Parts: sequence; structure tokens; C-alpha cells
Amino acid sequence: MSAGLLVDGLTIRFGGLTAVDGVTLAAPQGRVTGLIGPNGAGKTTTFNACSGLLRPSAGTVSLFGQDVTAASAAARARRGLGRTFQRMDLFDSLTVEQNIALGLKARLARGHPIKQLVSSRADRKAVRAATEEALELCELGKLRREPAGALSTGQRRRVDLGRVLAGGFSMLLLDEPSSGLDTAETVRFGQLVSRVVDERDCGVLLVEHDMALVVAICDYLYVLDFGELIFEGTPDEVRGSEVVRAAYLGSEAA
Amino acid sequence: MNELLPFVIIGITTGSVYGLAAMGLVLTYKTSGIFNFAHGSIAALAAYAFYDLNVLRGLPWPVAVALVVGVLPPLLALVLERIATRLADASVTMKIVATVGLQLAITSALLAHYGGQSLPFPAFLPVDTVSLLGIEVGIDQLVSTGIAATGALAFYLFFRRSRLGVRMRAVVDDPDLLSLSGTGPVAVRRAAWLIGTWFAAISGLLLAPQIGLDALLLTLLVVQAYGAAAVGLFRNLPATYAGGLLIGLLTALATKFVVGSEMLAGLPPAIPFLVLFVVLLVAGKRRLVEVGGQLRAPVSSPLLTPGTTRVVVLVTLAVAVVIPLLVGAKLPVYSNALVFVLIFASLHLLVHTSGQASLAHAGLVAVGAAAFSHLAVGAGLPWLVAVLLAGAIAVPVGMLVAVPAIRLSGLFLALGTFGFGLLLERVAYRTDVMFGTTSTLEATRPAGFASDTAFYYVLLGFAVAGGLVVAAVNRSRLGRLLRAMADSPTTLTTLGLGVNVTRVTVFAISAFLAGVAGSLYASQSLSATGTPFTAYNSLVWLAVLVLFAMARSAAPVLAALFVAVAPAYGGGEAMVDWMPVFFGLGALLVALHQAGARPSGEAQAADALKAGSRSDERVGGGSAAAERLAEVAATALVNATRNGSGAPHGARLRIGAPR
Repeated sequence: MSAGLLVDGLTIRFGGLTAVDGVTLAAPQGRVTGLIGPNGAGKTTTFNACSGLLRPSAGTVSLFGQDVTAASAAARARRGLGRTFQRMDLFDSLTVEQNIALGLKARLARGHPIKQLVSSRADRKAVRAATEEALELCELGKLRREPAGALSTGQRRRVDLGRVLAGGFSMLLLDEPSSGLDTAETVRFGQLVSRVVDERDCGVLLVEHDMALVVAICDYLYVLDFGELIFEGTPDEVRGSEVVRAAYLGSEAA
Repeated sequence: MNELLPFVIIGITTGSVYGLAAMGLVLTYKTSGIFNFAHGSIAALAAYAFYDLNVLRGLPWPVAVALVVGVLPPLLALVLERIATRLADASVTMKIVATVGLQLAITSALLAHYGGQSLPFPAFLPVDTVSLLGIEVGIDQLVSTGIAATGALAFYLFFRRSRLGVRMRAVVDDPDLLSLSGTGPVAVRRAAWLIGTWFAAISGLLLAPQIGLDALLLTLLVVQAYGAAAVGLFRNLPATYAGGLLIGLLTALATKFVVGSEMLAGLPPAIPFLVLFVVLLVAGKRRLVEVGGQLRAPVSSPLLTPGTTRVVVLVTLAVAVVIPLLVGAKLPVYSNALVFVLIFASLHLLVHTSGQASLAHAGLVAVGAAAFSHLAVGAGLPWLVAVLLAGAIAVPVGMLVAVPAIRLSGLFLALGTFGFGLLLERVAYRTDVMFGTTSTLEATRPAGFASDTAFYYVLLGFAVAGGLVVAAVNRSRLGRLLRAMADSPTTLTTLGLGVNVTRVTVFAISAFLAGVAGSLYASQSLSATGTPFTAYNSLVWLAVLVLFAMARSAAPVLAALFVAVAPAYGGGEAMVDWMPVFFGLGALLVALHQAGARPSGEAQAADALKAGSRSDERVGGGSAAAERLAEVAATALVNATRNGSGAPHGARLRIGAPR
């Protein structure tokens, strides 16, 4: 099991409020790791700290064996960390194809003024190939010329995923990818994620509310409540856990 | 110490009035999410109303004051509350354009009706002096400080203690929740606007006796309240009042210390903008939380297909080529329009393509104009070399403007760049590096192209080249990155892009074009001066460009025609005076109309809501909210509709031009 994303003793405070308290978790490559918990448990905050949008108050984040706690979001992305957003932050004025192409384009352009201005022939070729592959994987070929702002939620989710797939990231953070999707769409989404993990040997850390999806695709789960890790284990162990039932599943089962 | 005391007293007097005005500004911003650029013109309106009633109609001053304070603010408050509610979901740019339009309308109506020259304002308060701490203090100064301080304190207590005050704070937090509890948010918002307008009107009455009745000056003096509001981070009322005092004091003391220095004479009046700029930069996105929500503007399809665009471009070019044969003596007007095409094209790149509302653009053009004169006339460089170098000199200044763009977004970016533009105008324009104390420099045209007609074609060449540069940028990788950045900079960051580099690059390109345009403007008018490039004109330019944004790539051309050519055909003298009024009202109406039009994809909005689209993706304090603004700004520009009527007359509407 190779080290993908490692979070050690992560603590995040907003003023007096401790949103995440000493969370330690590992999301290895080639696996789907789940992060679950009730609303407000600190899942998205943890995500933001992993992707570099938030500075942790304490603790470290390392990526493929290197400490990236001090690195910017862009620097982490260049090292292979990609993420989607719960609110599906697409580039609404651009087409589906342009959105997806940007996954790799942004990464190639980095913080380099010349590379941002013009693209080399090799770059263009790589972007085209990655875009086509992602369009096909996410079944978006027919929608490629549509403006992203005009899509339905399910389609937007796929564009969001397609964008990080085109970017060729080796560790993906997916933030509630099934919210707003119907059951059939959710199932297809799960299959797509499993396929990508198998084919590309990338790691996935998944924040999700849909327990069916979590159980179906995750290899290992972490359960957060009020910012603290209350349980970790395989999906079966989590389902059997009294602690988790009380904190999270209990309220849903009732 | 005793030498300083009189300045301290002046500082406290004016400072407490700024503080009062700023509290009104912050209150209305907090309760409605609309930053009222027209706040200063309300102060001017009140002062003129008093003048009209007291001097022209002979009413005794207490009656006039009672009428001005008792009748005017409630009427204005009703109107403003309607406007603000209607704008609640509009994009930041539209919110800015709406109140800028209102300010333009009020200020220019006052100018058109009462004339531009400063009128003597009756000193209605006693001007005797009393001895205080060993120096003579005017009773009017004491009274005015007293009124402002009492007003501020009374309001603060009201806001903290009274039921209505508590409700106002509730509106700030959550208007929907408040309406559930049985109090109409409308009534509360009206009360807030009433108090805000009151404070503006009172500050106008208190400031006018000290500086005379001058619509532009009064409007601008309350603009000083922006600096005070920044000190309170646009939310803390006591800190805002303290900010007003601080600005008053610093300005007064600076006046003392720069006495005798021609170079620094512009510094004291620039202090509020210095404060505004520095505070915004230091505070940054994290500490500045924008108020109010914005709807994601619908994505409109382009008006023209690529094929028709090509035809339109060719026809426009053909017309442009034959214009010198058709317009006779009006040719300089069209030459100016060509320069403005370049100016608007460079602004378009920033505002439309990259979604950043920059209000320092006139400053960049002025830098180009001044640099050109120094290079072409002063250093005797060949014409073309001087033009290109002038563009290059504007680049570092443009990169400096990119600093606020890195630190801020949305409204605060607009205010920060506005502060920078004002600083540049007040402090730098009159230095020898730029236009010098005489404020006018010589400029030349290239050898062999000195005639108006020949130079027209030179300008046409530059306008076309500028258009090509902008088109090339739009088609390049940078263009794609910029449009994506306008939609969502955070996402681009998480994809590995260094967005700050992107921001600096686009500001640099835009500044180069603006600098070249400045050289051409100087060359066309054979003199370089800062008069057409006041910071205030940056506001007007942004408003005009946004009005034509629906025309997409054609927007710079239409905006240039509107600014440069329309006034030349605008009827008589009176008509020209009133044109900015219509333009301002037009801008306001367009913004209101735009805000009223709900996104075409209702379903999409509902869909997004279902997915919790704007729920808990909070990234460190308010930056998620702040970023939404930047996201929306660009898409909204795409959809800005219809033009206003009338035209801003470049030279007519300026505030505090360098003397």
C-alpha cells in the first residue's frame, strides 16, 4: 500500500470554534477511502485543509511522502492532488469541452507567465488527448459544445469529475459527488469512480452522504463527528459500530 | 504644540462630519448590500436645496434647515430603498453601475441647473469665536462638531439598544428570518436608508459653509467617507466614526506640514484615499466580508455568429476608412473615438475577459500620456519608439494595480483600485515625473503624418492593432485562463494554476494598451494633460463599457462612439449640460432592468439550490462570499443590456482635476 495522502493530527480553529480536532487519516493510492459524518462534522473543512485552501492550526498534510502543509493549493495540485467541489464550481461561461481541457491546461500553465500566455504544440496534443479520454469516461461527448452553465446537476457533476480526470491527478478528493443525483446516476457515478481507480491506480478520498454509494465503492472509512474522528474501519465494521450508529446512522435509520 | 492646535481643531471638525457621513454609508451598505456611490451627491443635493430655499427663496434658515432635513431624506430614502431591494440579487458590477449612475445624474443635474461655479454658501451658524485652550475656535466649528458627534453617538446607542436598532442588526444577519418573526424587512430597510440619507444630508449642510457650494467638491468630500468606512472594515460603526476623525486629523495636519511645497500640495486631499487603499490592502479578502447575495447571471448566447461577426468587422472597417471624406470638420472627434476604442479595448480585457472591475484605468492612460511627452518632446525620441516605450512605462504601474486584484475581489477591488486612481491623480499628476505643476505638456505627431486626416489613419492603424492584440489574447491559452478565472479563481488554483501570475499578466497587457492609448491621445490633441483622465472618469468609463457589454467584442467600439462622438452631435449648450443626467439615469435603469430579469434557467437555479450550491464551502471567513462576487461579475457583464441615453461629456464631468 503506497502512501497517497496522509493527514496527521489536523486541527483547524475558526476563532474560538474548533472545526476539526486532531484528525489523522490516510488515503492510499489504488483505493477509495471514505470520509463520512453528519452535517457540520468538519468533512469539507478537512478537505479544504488537504487541498490547501485552508491553513491548519496544527497538524500536517503530506502527499506521496512529502510534507505539503505549507504548500499552496496550486503547488499541491501540481504534485498530483485534484479535487471537486460540492457546489460544482464549473466555469459556467465556457463549454463542457473547454471546462474539461482546463483540468490539464491549468496544471501545465502553472505559475509561469510564458506558459500561461501560449501553449506549446506538445502541450496542445496532450490536452486534446486527455480531454477526449475524460469526455468519453464521463459520457459527455454529446454535450461537449454546451455551455457548462446550462447543464443539469447530474451533468455538472460529471463535468466536475471529468475536469480532474483530464488533469491526470493521482490523488482525487471528491466532495459529495452524489448530492443532487438520482439513484441511477449515483450508481453510474460509483462505477465510474471504481473504474478510474482500477485503471489509473490513483487514490480517492471521498466525502459522501449516500451510504449505499459509500459502502459500494469504499475500501476503508473514516467517521467524523463534531470535528473528531470517532471510528475507522471497513464499511462492514462501520455498519456494525454502535458509536457510528449513535452519532450518524442512527439518526438516518430512525 | 500651539501651532498645531488650530489644525487639530479643523481636523476634528471636518473629521467628525466625515465620520457621520461614513456611518450613514456603512449602515445602508450593511442593511442592503448596496454600496451607495451616490452618498456624496445626496450631501450636495441637501446643500443646494438649502441654498435654494434660504438664499433664492428667502426663507429663514431654521425653516430651510427643517425642510431640507425633514422632507428631502424621507423622499430619497423611499426611492433608494426601492432601488436597493431591486438590486439585491444583481451582480457587483451592476450594483456599482447603478449607484454610480445615480450619482452622475444628481451631481450633473445640480451642475446643469445651478451652474458649475462655486456659489457662496450662507453661514447660517454663528461665526463668532470663543477662546478655548488658549486659541480662538469658531462657534460654528463647535456646533458642527457637536452635531456630528451627538448624531453619531445617538445613532450608536439607538443601534445597540432600541428595538428598531436590534431589528436593523437582524436585517443585516438574515432578512428572511426577520420577516418570519413578523417584522417586515422593508420597514427596517427604509428606516436604515432614512438614517443614512439623513447623515448624508446633514454632513452636506455642515460641510458646505466651510468649502462653499460646489457640487463636485461636495460630492467628492463625502467620498472621503469611503476611507473612514474602510477603517471600520465596512461594518463596525464606532470604528468608522473614529476613522472619520483620523482622516480629518491626518488631512489637516498634512496641510500644515506640506505648506510651501508645490510637489506635495496634492497630498493632504489624497489622504482619505491613501487610507482607503492601504486599509483595504492590509485587510485583504479574509477580513472584508461582502454583504448581500448575488444570483449567478444567466449565460447568454452571443448575438452574432462568427460569420456575421466577420462581416460586421469588415463593414465597420470600411466605414472607418472613408470617415475622413464624410465628416469634414468633425474629424478630430472621430480621431478621439479611435483612441477611446483602444482605451475601452484594454479595459474590456480586464473587466469582461478576466472579470475584474478596475477603477484605476484613467490613471494608466494618464501615465502613458505623460511618459510619451517626456520621451518624444523631452528626450526627442522617434515618435513610434516614444509611443511604445510609454506603453511599456505604464506596465509597472498596471502591475501595481494588480496588487489590489490579488488581495481583493468584487466591490472591494473596485474601491481599492478607485482609491489607487485617486491617489495617482492627486499626488502624481502634478509632479514633474508626470504633467508637472503647469499640468500641460507638449506632444507631437509623427513626421509626415501631422495633418488631421493623415493622423486619423495612424490612429486607425493603432485601433485595429489594439483590437487584434485583444483578440489574440482572447484566443490564446491566457484568454481561456482569464475567462475561467472570471468564473472561479479558487477552482483554477486547485487545478494547479498560479492565478496571481495570471492577474498580473492581464493587468500588464491592459496597462500597455492603456499607455499607448494615452500617448495617442496626447499626440492627437498635441498636448498631454491629466484633465481627461481623472479617477472619476474611470467610474464613467466602467459604467459606459458595462452598458454595452451585451455587444461583446463590439463593446469597446460602441462605448468609444458613445463617449467621444455622441456629445459632438448633442444639440445646444443646455443639452450638453443635461446629457450626463440622462446618461446617469440610463445607467441606473439598465442596472435595475438587469437585476429585475431573473435568470432564464429558473430550473437551473433551483437545481443548484437543491445541490446545496452555495452552502458550506466556506473557505476561511468570508472569502467564499467574496469570491462568488468575482465569479458573478464577469458573467453579469456578458449579460449587461441596452445602452443608456445621452452621453457623459468627458471634460465636463470631472472632480478635482489637477490645477
